[in-house]
Amino acid sequence: MKPMLSTDLNVAETVVEKAKIEVKNLNFYYGQSKALKDINLSLPERSVTAFIGPSGCGKSTLLRVLNRIYELYPKQSAEGQVLLDGKNILDRSQDLNLLRTKIGMVFQKPTPFPMSIYENIAFGVRLYEKISKAEMDSRVESALKRAALWNEVKDKLNASGQSLSGGQQQRLCIARTVAVKPEVILLDEPASALDPLSTAKIEELIDELQADYTIVIVTHNMQQAARVSRQTAFMYLGELVEFDRTEKIFTSPREKRTQDYITGRFG
Amino acid sequence: MSTAASLHQRRKRKNAVMMALCVVAAGIGLAWLALILGALLYKGLSGVSLSVFAEMTPPPGDAGGLLNAIYGSIVMTIIGIIVGTPIGVLAGTYMAEYGRFSRLTTVVRFINDILLSAPSIIVGLFVYELMVRPMGHFSAIAGAVALSILVIPVVVRTTEDMLNLVPNALREAGTAIGAPRWVVIRSVAYRAALSGIVTGILLAIARISGETAPLLFTALNNQFWSSNLNAPMASLPVTIFQFALSPYEEWQQLAWTGALIITLTVLGLSIFARSLTGRREDR
Repeated sequence: MKPMLSTDLNVAETVVEKAKIEVKNLNFYYGQSKALKDINLSLPERSVTAFIGPSGCGKSTLLRVLNRIYELYPKQSAEGQVLLDGKNILDRSQDLNLLRTKIGMVFQKPTPFPMSIYENIAFGVRLYEKISKAEMDSRVESALKRAALWNEVKDKLNASGQSLSGGQQQRLCIARTVAVKPEVILLDEPASALDPLSTAKIEELIDELQADYTIVIVTHNMQQAARVSRQTAFMYLGELVEFDRTEKIFTSPREKRTQDYITGRFG
Repeated sequence: MSTAASLHQRRKRKNAVMMALCVVAAGIGLAWLALILGALLYKGLSGVSLSVFAEMTPPPGDAGGLLNAIYGSIVMTIIGIIVGTPIGVLAGTYMAEYGRFSRLTTVVRFINDILLSAPSIIVGLFVYELMVRPMGHFSAIAGAVALSILVIPVVVRTTEDMLNLVPNALREAGTAIGAPRWVVIRSVAYRAALSGIVTGILLAIARISGETAPLLFTALNNQFWSSNLNAPMASLPVTIFQFALSPYEEWQQLAWTGALIITLTVLGLSIFARSLTGRREDR
């Protein structure tokens, strides 16, 4: 098993880390056009990996392959392998709903369901677990605490999820994702629609969550990637240009294209 | 500078002319509505009394009411809605959710739009051939079926439109949490589109409660009280049609009153539907 694009520096460190997700020879198509070209990378368990790159580089597309959400659209297709704990999730026999309970996702725009705050969280839990009201109450509470939202909403759990502010809605979405006890959390530009204060809260949250979850975050904000992630993948025109420890990417990248992008010469 | 000023003056004049034309056009449009409502209130209101809602349609020259016609209208409208709504909602759901990218949806939408604007008398003739002739007599149930055929395209259209307004991100979010498709549709998409779908159903009720032509060929009319679905049944629109054309003053008065009742009902439903949609937009 080759955990990352190994460089002399990080070989020793990365070998000990168990890969949660391994992407092998992945190609992705929107109809006829190829959006991802032969992607290979390995995401270590319980750690934050960031995908960066200019708009249209395929970073969101790659993220959307990991829980196969792209299957909602008939003209999109992936080929290659994505191994979750060694099992290929692109396999036809993979149960998609079960896969998505293991791999949660938070989107760019906050997407609270049209129901109460409590129900927003209970909804996902109820899909796969039969638990008592009391258990559900504590489940909702712990998820909201986990997402640092409990104190703000504990007195209005029956209010509509859509009545919250943007930043609160996004934390509700994180709480909802955490509540179903996933193993991996995918974040698709989770803070790009939020103000700086809410963004800081979300980043703090990501930092805390990596103790228990494997996290993948797509961001077009390079400072954010530098702040929250341990590994960074730089993508460009559907290719994975460079994948390494975050500080390496931002201080001494091997590729000139990475260098150009992080110094703001293009993108 | 002076050129700019004169251009500005010209633009202002043009604007004034355009605005005047628009105001006049809007005024003409509204005037007819006001005139119709005014005439109905003037002629109909004087006939409104308790007996209208308590007595049967009278023979010529006698006093009476519209009870059997009101009852028939309500019964046939309810059955029409009960039959047409599930079909319409499910078809609309297929088009907006399961079959969003399929060619069948495009075809169904096209045909549905034709059905939406099809003259209702044709629907009446169709049900006449389909039910009245084989059964050998007119019946309330045939009337209700004709009305349900008018309900379906309205509900299909609004259901599809309202579901299409639900942001895809919401569906993706539901899917991403592990919900099967039908759960996403039932618990997320329907909930988000609920007020719009209900509005569509209310508009369908408003549409069919004033339909005359499809009932003429199917439920016909009935001078007397009848709750038998297998027999001809009276309805407000057909009664109005018959009474308004008659030479008897009592009948003409009842026609005015019936027209007022229908108009106010439709108006009320439309306002209620509006308030539902309005509330959704406020949120």
